[in-house]
Amino acid sequence: MKRTLLQFLVAIVALAIAPFVLSLFHLNLLSEILILAIFALSLNVLVGFTGLVSLGHAAFFGVGAYTAGLVAQNLSSNLLVTLGLAIILSMVVAAVIGAFCMKVSGFYFLMLTLAFSQMIYSFIYQSTNLTGGSNGLSGIPRASLGAFQFSNAVYIFYLVLGVFFITYACLRIIVKSPFGQVLVGIRENETRVKSMGYNTNLYKYTAFVLAGGLGGLAGSLYTYFNGFIAPSDVYWTMSGAVLIMVLIGGAGTMLGPVLGAALIVSLETIVSSYTDLWMLIVGAVFIIFVIFFPKGIVGIGQSLYQKFKSNKQQSYERKQSRVA
Amino acid sequence: MNVNKKLFMFFSLIFLVTLLAACGNSAIQSNSNSESSNTEESTEQQGENAGEGTIKVGSILPFSGVYASLGKDLSDGMKLYFDSVDWEVEGKTIELIEEDTEADPQIALRRVRKLMDQDNIDILTGAVSTAVAYAIRDDVDTNKLPYLASHAGGDDLTRGQRSDYIWRSSFSSWQIGHSMGEWAYENVGEKMYVAAADYAFGREVSAAFKDAYTAAGGEIVGEVYPPLGNNDYASYLTTISGVEADGVYGFFAGSDAVRFVQQYEQYGLKDKYTLVGSGWLVSEDLRESIGDAAEGIFASSFWDYSLDTVENQEFVAAYEEAYNRRPTVESLEGYDAARVIVEAISTLGGDVSDPDATVEAISNVTFTSPRGTIEFDKDTHHIIQNMYITETVIEDGRTENNVIHTIDSVQDPGE
Amino acid sequence: MDIIGAQLVNGVSYGLLLFIITCGLSLVFGILGVLNLAHGSLYMFGAYLAYSLTVTYTQSFWIALLVAPIVVALIALVVERTLLRPTYHLGHLSQVLLTFGLAYVFHDIAKFVWGSNVLSITVPPIFSGSTSIFGQTFPVYRLIVIIVGIAIAVMLWLIQDKTRWGAIIRAGLSDKEMIGALGVNIKLVFTVVFVIGGVLAGFGGVVAAPILGIYPSMEFQTLILALVVLVIGGLGSIAGTLVASVLVGVVETFSRFLFPELSMFLIFGLMAIVLVFKPNGLLGKKVA
Repeated sequence: MKRTLLQFLVAIVALAIAPFVLSLFHLNLLSEILILAIFALSLNVLVGFTGLVSLGHAAFFGVGAYTAGLVAQNLSSNLLVTLGLAIILSMVVAAVIGAFCMKVSGFYFLMLTLAFSQMIYSFIYQSTNLTGGSNGLSGIPRASLGAFQFSNAVYIFYLVLGVFFITYACLRIIVKSPFGQVLVGIRENETRVKSMGYNTNLYKYTAFVLAGGLGGLAGSLYTYFNGFIAPSDVYWTMSGAVLIMVLIGGAGTMLGPVLGAALIVSLETIVSSYTDLWMLIVGAVFIIFVIFFPKGIVGIGQSLYQKFKSNKQQSYERKQSRVA
Repeated sequence: MNVNKKLFMFFSLIFLVTLLAACGNSAIQSNSNSESSNTEESTEQQGENAGEGTIKVGSILPFSGVYASLGKDLSDGMKLYFDSVDWEVEGKTIELIEEDTEADPQIALRRVRKLMDQDNIDILTGAVSTAVAYAIRDDVDTNKLPYLASHAGGDDLTRGQRSDYIWRSSFSSWQIGHSMGEWAYENVGEKMYVAAADYAFGREVSAAFKDAYTAAGGEIVGEVYPPLGNNDYASYLTTISGVEADGVYGFFAGSDAVRFVQQYEQYGLKDKYTLVGSGWLVSEDLRESIGDAAEGIFASSFWDYSLDTVENQEFVAAYEEAYNRRPTVESLEGYDAARVIVEAISTLGGDVSDPDATVEAISNVTFTSPRGTIEFDKDTHHIIQNMYITETVIEDGRTENNVIHTIDSVQDPGE
Repeated sequence: MDIIGAQLVNGVSYGLLLFIITCGLSLVFGILGVLNLAHGSLYMFGAYLAYSLTVTYTQSFWIALLVAPIVVALIALVVERTLLRPTYHLGHLSQVLLTFGLAYVFHDIAKFVWGSNVLSITVPPIFSGSTSIFGQTFPVYRLIVIIVGIAIAVMLWLIQDKTRWGAIIRAGLSDKEMIGALGVNIKLVFTVVFVIGGVLAGFGGVVAAPILGIYPSMEFQTLILALVVLVIGGLGSIAGTLVASVLVGVVETFSRFLFPELSMFLIFGLMAIVLVFKPNGLLGKKVA
């Protein structure tokens, strides 16, 4: 536990010095990765820990992002107000959608979440007066906290970084808690958990609302980061992209979604600078992962570590034998 | 062991971060630069560029996704003009850096930040989707980056969202829709039905058309807004076939236009109502796919392949020789945008270090383009240009557009 | 009254077009348990090949109708043998990801080969006219689509219910190990079914292209619609897919007629309502 805390601190320090070593472009890229990592972590609560595969998670991202933007435009650009309302509204939406989605399972769950998110998408897309429709919502004032304004990329980065670590730590605690263990139990064998007397539906529902709230949190950060939000971020392809981040990174682990987000964003940015056929390359990477590394990036790390450890074990044994 | 594994993970993450840290100034430095408003530093930096004798033009266009063909045409048109001046103005070499926006505003924003922070471009151009232009608006404005919009037609870009650094050489929704209104009243009839794709552009264009048409004395008898990318118009067309009207104003583009025009004929509406619309309904790259169904459509645009002027014939001949296909209105937009940039650099004597001087130079550019004489409206930052009404006819077994009417110097009201 | 009738014909025709596009997806899911997200891409290849065959090479729609599905079937064969087979043991989600990756790859291949312009193909002269129904002008091709859709439905029903292959397939569906023990090569069954799915997708592409058009990203638009139809009908049920296709077609057509602004919303609303009341779709069986 102590060591975990230590690593956590190391990671915080390493990332906190990023603005001093990274160029502005790379810093912005890192902010974007961290925002999408929070989004992927929120989906991981459903996909990785509870075993509910959702293809409609962009709905909450969008609700959070548009809420933050609209509140900043019309009410107050105070960070606590926009962030708070974004999270609350996305949780409310998640509570409504979740109430319906709990009735179905498997592919039907996947498709029902898709259906609801597409309904939210078409609402946002068609409400031109409220959301700007296909043009997106622009001219959103910068987030502020009292007199302080998050006016440049570095401030935004530290904001995102702070929220990221808080989210990560909270999720880790939740996963290790009895509540998290029940979720994992549901993923492994729902019938058994049910027979042990747990109200599995209630647990799943709570997880759904929690994931929705965190998705909204990520969405509102995206609004602060870009000062702009477009309906394409609520479209099903966004839900697909975040699902891929979770799966490629390694579902059901804490670091997997983070690494998945990092890989996808970097890949897309780097590849598309060289060729227009980036979808081909990204698609090929997905296929390679499914066939060769079904456990995702974390899985690769694990097997590498295992190899490394067994090598060390061997050399240790050799040393021992020499001594003898 | 579990802990060790995590440690390994963290280190790999840190490794990834350092890997990302390629060359370049740190973000803190760049930020304090821009914050302490020291234009000295930035001019110094630009001066370096000038010393090397290169002017960097960044271009953001969609090369993948639904707008990919438009992006390609814009890019080809731009390159055709730069080729014609050997990529050189006032002894400076023009370096064109193209980035793919994928028609996704957030991705476009990411690319623009790369162009600004990594490539240190001097001038930005492009954007097909209006959403992309709005998305990058604030970043362009705060960084004082001269930006010449070469397609995105959303009205607000040169109205409510106007910026000192944003100028537009393409068109506005208003110009497209408004230009058809009066002509339709005089030549088609007193009652019209409006059908337009349900997105901001379609709504803006049809609203401008309705205003102009009703102001001229016409009556809109009904309207319908099918979703963008709607795949079957049967139901809408059946509804339209029951109304009393002289004509239908249709605003559709791309695959929507192909389906709408074809089905319009198949459902027998062509014999009942005259179909009018914007140039995209019968654009140069779609008519072959539409086939004979396009015959008899009247459309309004700011350029047409058939325009009978020396400048246009030269442009068309050069384009066809270079790419072995006909130019589209997007090719022309790219061609003109490149020329605006070159002319502006030329008046500056090749020194683009001061963004305010650069936009001032852009605002003064005027020349006779293949589309006719163009100049910028200094109040709105939007182009003043002729609009043309075309009629689609069948010639030698294929459809061709003919320019039948010209509306001179159309100026967007800017509010 | 006439307009209601005309809209009904529109709806049925559109619905059966959806069925032609979706039935292959439904068949593959029903028997292999694979949700093939590359189905839309196979459909797209059918349409693009039909374009090349009718415009560039042969000028004949009939040859395209015959050849394009065969070529798409070959693509499906390669996909099944090289990519899908090694992943059957990995579970549903892996195949979803795999076929989604494939859809990306196919998207760029199509862009590379055919460019990103909007294309279209014309139907043979005997289909291209219009006729009058309920006092409305109506394209003949739409009526042909109704007939083709019904023909495919009947054919699939006959194969499933009346032939030895159908029996094997139905058995394979309910007990994969049992059928293997009986000496039937289950791997071969899977391959054949996936290839048939490919043929149907390719055929759908050719038939739908004159109406829906050929353009970049057409496959994703079609895929979403096909998934909606599939789920409303119930996964794994061809009959359900048929019912759902016609239902979606009619509902969408009438919603465009009555509430044009809501049509995008309504189709997903319909799916949500069906799933809330019938969690396994209209005629579906329970799947994990």
